[in-house]
Amino acid sequence: MRTTDASPASGPAQPLAAEARPIQQQQRRNPPIAGELNAIALAQAGDGASFEILYNMHKRRVYSLCLRMLGNVAEAEDLTQEAFLQLHRKIGTFRGDSAFSTWLHRMAVNVVLMHLRKKGLPLVSLEETLEPTQEDGPRKDFGTRDLTLSGSIDRVTLERAVQELPPGYRMVFVLHDVEGYEHNEIAGMLGCSIGNSKSQLHKARMRLRSLLRESADGRADA
Amino acid sequence: MTMTTNTPQECSEFQQQLPDFFDSGGDRIEHPHLNTCANCSALVRDLNYIATQAKLLMPIHDPSPAVWENISHALGKEPTARRASEDDGAP
Repeated sequence: MRTTDASPASGPAQPLAAEARPIQQQQRRNPPIAGELNAIALAQAGDGASFEILYNMHKRRVYSLCLRMLGNVAEAEDLTQEAFLQLHRKIGTFRGDSAFSTWLHRMAVNVVLMHLRKKGLPLVSLEETLEPTQEDGPRKDFGTRDLTLSGSIDRVTLERAVQELPPGYRMVFVLHDVEGYEHNEIAGMLGCSIGNSKSQLHKARMRLRSLLRESADGRADA
Repeated sequence: MTMTTNTPQECSEFQQQLPDFFDSGGDRIEHPHLNTCANCSALVRDLNYIATQAKLLMPIHDPSPAVWENISHALGKEPTARRASEDDGAP
């Protein structure tokens, strides 16, 4: 069994505590679940059935997070498994200072980031950071048939476009826009500057805009 | 008010600052350039729209049953949560 230590309190790059995030934001992203507190208490006491209840409450969110960050089903399942094994080892240290789901999801993010570091993949691509790209220049949308995307994106199209992003862009986009982390938290997790996180997010959104416009144009031509 | 297309340099200067504008202004960016540039206005609307839609993405995928089977199998070999937290020095 792997021994990745990716708990919120002991990751390699110390992120800001989840508690630093506004409570309302945490509640919006991670609303309380009925029966969760009881299951946590029993699981902390070593009750396996209660741990399974917690798994069933959170498996979809943790797996979806891993899948969006990695874009690979097998890796996402492997790291979902690792995240819950981490949870089992660390659940006794959960004090309830933040929402349980916030704590667990931070653990899952750290498991994914640790996995990518072990694979030797840069979490923020040097190429994406330094080389001027299409996203860097001013946009000239002269002559396009429909000036804005508003109302034209469905969930499946957006999910597909997110998976087409380069890994560095996708990482920051998922953490910020989907999971709701702040730039200072992302910078801490990825080991980059806050400005770099903002820049990567902006480029990710710009790339998504291009992808989504191509998709919308394709549908209009069909 | 007439929306025109500004010079590429004006657009470039505005767009270089966009990451900071989004970070400080959220979804309500107010800048004089947006009053006169249709393209940059459309760009800001699109980027806001993408960010808004991303927040609505829900977790929709479930892991296969094999994931829990593997976890359950592994937990059979692990110490209990209570013992693990005692090992970590937690009260």
